[in-house]
Amino acid sequence: MSQTVTAPTTTDITIEVVYRGIFQKTLAQRICRSVVLAARRRGSPGTAFARYGDSPERNGVPAKQFAVVAADDTQLEASMARYEPSVTDVTVAVDDTLVKGVESWAWYGRQPIWKTTKPDGFVIVTSDKTPDEIVAQTDTAVRPYTLAVVPGAASFAGLWVYKDDHTDWRVLGALAKVAPDWIRLEDVRALVQEQTKDPNAVASVQYGFDATVLRPVAVGEGTSGHEVLQFEKPGWTTMRPGIVVDARKPGERNPFYKKYGARTMRPVVNFDTCIKCTMCWLDCPDECFEVTPTGHYEVVYEACIGCGICAQVCPVKDCIVMVDELKFDPDLDANKTVWPQWQADRGTYNKWFEAKSGVSAAPKSAKAAASSGAAATGGED
Amino acid sequence: MAVETAPLPQIKGVKEVPYEELFVSGHRTCQGCESALVMRHMVKASGPRTIILGSTGCMYVANTTYYTTPWVVPWMHTQLGAAGSAALGTAAGLKVLMRKGKIKDEKINVIAFCGDGGGADMGIGAISATLTHKEYNCLVLLYDNESYANTDIQVSSQSPWGAVTTFSPTGSKHRIMHTRWKKNMPGMMAAGHPESRYIAAGCAAYAVDLMNKIRRALELGGPTFVHTLDPCPKGWDYHPQYSQELGHLAVECGIWPLYEVVDGVVNLTGPTRQIAEGRKKRKPVIEYLKRQGRFAHFAPEDVEHFQAEVDKQWTEWLIPGVIPFTIPQKDTRILNIDKKKPLHAEAVA
Repeated sequence: MSQTVTAPTTTDITIEVVYRGIFQKTLAQRICRSVVLAARRRGSPGTAFARYGDSPERNGVPAKQFAVVAADDTQLEASMARYEPSVTDVTVAVDDTLVKGVESWAWYGRQPIWKTTKPDGFVIVTSDKTPDEIVAQTDTAVRPYTLAVVPGAASFAGLWVYKDDHTDWRVLGALAKVAPDWIRLEDVRALVQEQTKDPNAVASVQYGFDATVLRPVAVGEGTSGHEVLQFEKPGWTTMRPGIVVDARKPGERNPFYKKYGARTMRPVVNFDTCIKCTMCWLDCPDECFEVTPTGHYEVVYEACIGCGICAQVCPVKDCIVMVDELKFDPDLDANKTVWPQWQADRGTYNKWFEAKSGVSAAPKSAKAAASSGAAATGGED
Repeated sequence: MAVETAPLPQIKGVKEVPYEELFVSGHRTCQGCESALVMRHMVKASGPRTIILGSTGCMYVANTTYYTTPWVVPWMHTQLGAAGSAALGTAAGLKVLMRKGKIKDEKINVIAFCGDGGGADMGIGAISATLTHKEYNCLVLLYDNESYANTDIQVSSQSPWGAVTTFSPTGSKHRIMHTRWKKNMPGMMAAGHPESRYIAAGCAAYAVDLMNKIRRALELGGPTFVHTLDPCPKGWDYHPQYSQELGHLAVECGIWPLYEVVDGVVNLTGPTRQIAEGRKKRKPVIEYLKRQGRFAHFAPEDVEHFQAEVDKQWTEWLIPGVIPFTIPQKDTRILNIDKKKPLHAEAVA
């Protein structure tokens, strides 16, 4: 596609990068920094910064970084006189599961991915899904925007070891496509060539520019299936002496912070092969397993952060399988419990399990289960 | 809720672990946070008649922010480094209220937790003082994720040799920037506080073992101390799903020995006992190191150094993994220590 769209702004442009805390911190930094450096090549001053409220970041918990570029220093200072940009020209989500909603570390509740995107702005998502699949998972649009899908799976790394899979360069190519007034493709190419001395990185910029698919999203498109999660924040006058907070009641979970917003993979359980060993329940740091009347352990999806420990400690092969969160429909597969479905109709449930997980629900031979079990539970006393 | 004080019997296996959750979901910890699991197991073991005091650190900031809390039991924040003082003060306060008849005279568990920064760095003096006040019943639990993980991984006295942290990034000139060996915190507490009836080193990857240690500490009474090693996906740089595996490896490689010191007697537990008795081969430390991004810069000689230091822990220490000094060969007869006894006979895998 050679079609380019001009960002409708004259004095400054604000780009936010929404990312998975820690896993994509370096990636977000590299994108925001490169935006500023590329804009500087055409004489526009800019600044890149992280949202204070997201620090300290937690693995998987959504966070934001910003790049602001302006026509001149005065405009930049004017645009910087705020704690956090409330309106952005372009929103970049570097993990496609973020389109299901952004529930940050701080008390923002769950926000749509387009929350700050201005009317007729752009939402750039890195994904190997089609634009229609992405739109089906985003909250119902209240303003028109253009979705831009940059091909590629989510790029995750750790805090110390960054694997450059060129997601940063592809996203910069996409940014040059949607905001050519501010980020020129030739500037980005020259910057990347200068910084990496790697023609493949420059090629990735061009690929991001060429292969990004634009899809206009009209008001009303999207899903209304996601939970509304907003809270009354206490002011200083409503806080009690000593900042007393009510404890949770026994049997209750914290309703103000549900961890599913940090989830990229969802565990699905094959109750037919479960041996009721308790390991998933015991080792879950988020206390998200509930014991059922049949003695099985089912996941309370609202509370599940998707760390994958349960699947890792489960001694039975393919009993707990981690599945891409975007495979779950916001309406049909909301954070509902699934054990009652299995109890009511095992055949239907197992078909669902197989469709999601891609593995057979049929019980494996006892021998295979026992040998993998010995390896996984060898350390438990 | 009216809850009778129940004794805390030892848990025989996973099927006996209480179902009651007193630290529930809905906290702002990382994916795969092992320290959150320690909190959960800690209150599971201690039961509902427990007061928790938390000094600043991940388990304070991530658990009780923005006017919400995952704690079912009473919880109070205390300053960074004040876990020992808070535990002692609360225990003393409860005691005097009961003596004066202001509250019912019953057993209430007091547990103060602190991170490795709040406990092994800043709070060590207060914890040490607390462990000498034998008339008060309180437990100090140190959850050790080997860095100031909350504020984005600054080096602490519990960070392992060579690990990358924000304060010790690897560079082209100096590969190893953290050159100090991890402080032997539980061993130091055990050696230095002979009147404390219970000091232990545990790991949440061995959940039943850890819960039993918490229970024994609370049952024996007096000021007690438990130190847990918690794999931290954020600071150690590994995929969160491997938290349990790394806990197992830390023990199986002999880096983190599991033990308890009960009334001055060392009792090795779990795989550490199996290794010491020669029933299990100690795994080479590379198995542990290679799974973490914080050691990704290690050259072969760094691994060798790490292995040599861990080996020393097992072959040269007076008590493997616990007491780091030893005695000259000529004095073994005086102290009635036979170096050929099983604890020292272990061969490196």
